[in-house]
Amino acid sequence: MVDAARHPRIRILSYAEVQRVGGYIGNFKVKVLQKPRYVLEDRCNGCGLCAPVCPIEVPNEFEEGIAPRRAIYVPQPQAVPLVYTIDIDNCIECYKCVDACGKLEAIDFSMQPKELDLEVGTIIVATGFDTFDPTPIEEYGYSRYDNVLTALELERLHNSSGPTVGRLTRPSDGQIPRRVAFVQCVGSRDSRYHEYCSGFCCMHTIKNALVLKGLYPDMEISIFYIDIRTPAKSYEEFYQRARNEGIRFIQGRPAQITEDPETKNLFIEAEDRELGEVIELEAEMVVLSTAAVPRQGAEALGQALTIPNDPSGFYMEYHPKLRPIDTPTEGVFLAGAAQGPKDIPASVAQGSGAAGRAGRIMAVDKWEIEPIVALVWEDRCINTTRKCGICATKCPYNAIIVEPDQAAHVIPAICHGCGACVAECPHNAITQMHFTDAQIIAQIHALLAEKAEEKILAFMCHWCSFGGADNAGTSHFEYPASSRGIRVMCSARMDRDFVLEAFRLAAGMVLVSGCHPQDCHYITGQQHAAKRFDALAKMLERMGISPQRFRIEWISAAEGDKYARVIREMDGTLHSLDLERIRVENEEARPQLERRLHRMREVPGVAEVLSIES
Amino acid sequence: MLQLAKLDRKFKEEITAEPGGEYLLRCLSCGTCVAACLIRRVEPEYNPRRILYMAAVGLREDVLGSPLIWMCSACDACYKRCPQDIHISNIFAAFRNIALQEGYTPPGPVAQINERTCVGCGLCVEVCPYDAVELVQKRVLGREKTVSQVDPTKCMSCGVCAASCRSGSIDLVDFSDEAVFEAVREGLMAEAA
Repeated sequence: MVDAARHPRIRILSYAEVQRVGGYIGNFKVKVLQKPRYVLEDRCNGCGLCAPVCPIEVPNEFEEGIAPRRAIYVPQPQAVPLVYTIDIDNCIECYKCVDACGKLEAIDFSMQPKELDLEVGTIIVATGFDTFDPTPIEEYGYSRYDNVLTALELERLHNSSGPTVGRLTRPSDGQIPRRVAFVQCVGSRDSRYHEYCSGFCCMHTIKNALVLKGLYPDMEISIFYIDIRTPAKSYEEFYQRARNEGIRFIQGRPAQITEDPETKNLFIEAEDRELGEVIELEAEMVVLSTAAVPRQGAEALGQALTIPNDPSGFYMEYHPKLRPIDTPTEGVFLAGAAQGPKDIPASVAQGSGAAGRAGRIMAVDKWEIEPIVALVWEDRCINTTRKCGICATKCPYNAIIVEPDQAAHVIPAICHGCGACVAECPHNAITQMHFTDAQIIAQIHALLAEKAEEKILAFMCHWCSFGGADNAGTSHFEYPASSRGIRVMCSARMDRDFVLEAFRLAAGMVLVSGCHPQDCHYITGQQHAAKRFDALAKMLERMGISPQRFRIEWISAAEGDKYARVIREMDGTLHSLDLERIRVENEEARPQLERRLHRMREVPGVAEVLSIES
Repeated sequence: MLQLAKLDRKFKEEITAEPGGEYLLRCLSCGTCVAACLIRRVEPEYNPRRILYMAAVGLREDVLGSPLIWMCSACDACYKRCPQDIHISNIFAAFRNIALQEGYTPPGPVAQINERTCVGCGLCVEVCPYDAVELVQKRVLGREKTVSQVDPTKCMSCGVCAASCRSGSIDLVDFSDEAVFEAVREGLMAEAA
């Protein structure tokens, strides 16, 4: 950190927050709010004479609340920059620190928040993680029993620069515990709180156990676990070392921890699965290995950067295997636990990777982006005469600028190519390059040219359902040959008119498929599609189309078996429906379909497609 | 030696198809339920984790024919603590339902009703936590009357009905009124001595 602080080309903005991000790869505009420290950075030399005279003491965040800090403080002794900050919410402005600072005159109570506008080419998000507060797990007694701690609290107690100078004293009476028990998976691997495994807790518990054994050789240490996970290089040897040093590993997750009100000792009840007996262990101290959780404020930052979260709340990578450092927004990268719980070697590796990914972009003058962006037909956009702007409200990336009396304008470098704006524009005034209405309608016509009533026309999104269909193929999941597929980038692109046109051309069945809601590559694209097609399903039913002939399914790229099953089911239904009935339904619905599709004919290029067959 | 190939791999699907049994396969055998189980404190043989595993692995007859599946009192101490959110008492209910369908009989004994003295007031029906009592029309001593009746497949011998009955018409076999009074007398005598 000190190297980074002294590097001539690195500028550290501490005590600052990102408020807004605009622009695009190579040209981001970032608004940063620098909060006032009330201490001048260029005058404070970190001598620390101010803190001891401050009369205010509040819980010290770095010491996990075990020890106090003053209202004027540094977060921890190795902080970079080593500049003091005044916690103005708790400061009483007695000015004792000003007196202590003396000639340096580094304290300035008149400081104001400053807004900085930065222009940057790339962004790396390395905002880390927080830990789970185990208070809701009542059976473990955290925050009710004095001597039940979290792992981070233990770290401070045995650390020689911690509040007890490395002497492991227990909170209730200051005595050194003779017996210490660790409980793993507190909040992790728990469908009530966090389903995932936090990955590093087995290792840090084994480390803590070995540290304590080294400091107190006669201490009895037990670790209650479901599984011990020590997969990386030399981790298994570390685990064996712990076992050999007499640390007891008990395979059984505790059901209950109770406290003796006099001694404040704890009683842990668990089934020792290896014995097949329920055991009770008395310990002077219990340490809970709590889950890693997404950082507070991560969601707000994610919205500012338009990067999506995965279902557990960590930032979503572009692809979990092939591009685990990129985000779907070009030029924004992820490093460390912000993308998912991971330990130090993995975080460092990912950080180096992110630097490399960003470096590639900054080393060149021009950058190629995908050409599948949206484009407004300015002569068709009605915002020139009437207020519209619907396209901008649907865009997950704020890529469309709508100003009064002007046609909407898409910024190509921000557009990610989901197509939501194209499908939602009521006036068909916006198109997507390489996925135009004319192109897709031409595909519909080609696929339904012969025996349309015997076919299932499937619209698939590129990332999930098309991947799922591909997965079905490569996995040899068999499904009938009656389906024909059309790929678009996102289910958001699937226009209502496509489905109506398919039925107008007498398709037997139509399937609309895309990502599951939490997996959408374009953040909110699938939500637009879901709403659109739920409404369309009702409309089709009112037109007399049997409800089984239109199906909406959310299928992920890994669900090849689901894709095959859906097609098999639809094929089965198609055969059970009388062909004659399908023909009759199509004929009866045709006039309404023709009426609803009249706007589609006006879209540039579509008329030519329609004229080809007539 | 247990031959895994000979086990009934379909049994777990029968359980997951029953309401409440859906999460059987999520079980990681962490043992939290065993440590929490109140029944286990009086019956050390009773190990819900092992029974769930036996079902998942396909030991069909061993599970359905075991008297242990009738012991779960549905107190849900395990469910509250299970990190996989498995409703274990519902899975045991599924075992019982399937066992009954297959003709396995639950172990007795259960609450006994003296139909001669029963007045048909229905208080026992209201207080039973397991919905194991109902009022029925029966011919008792030549007369048609309304009496209560215990469903032996649901009765957990908790004794709440016996304690509530105003006419003294319900008693448990194992913890009869007489047996309890005798234990109280012995206890008092011991104190006096």
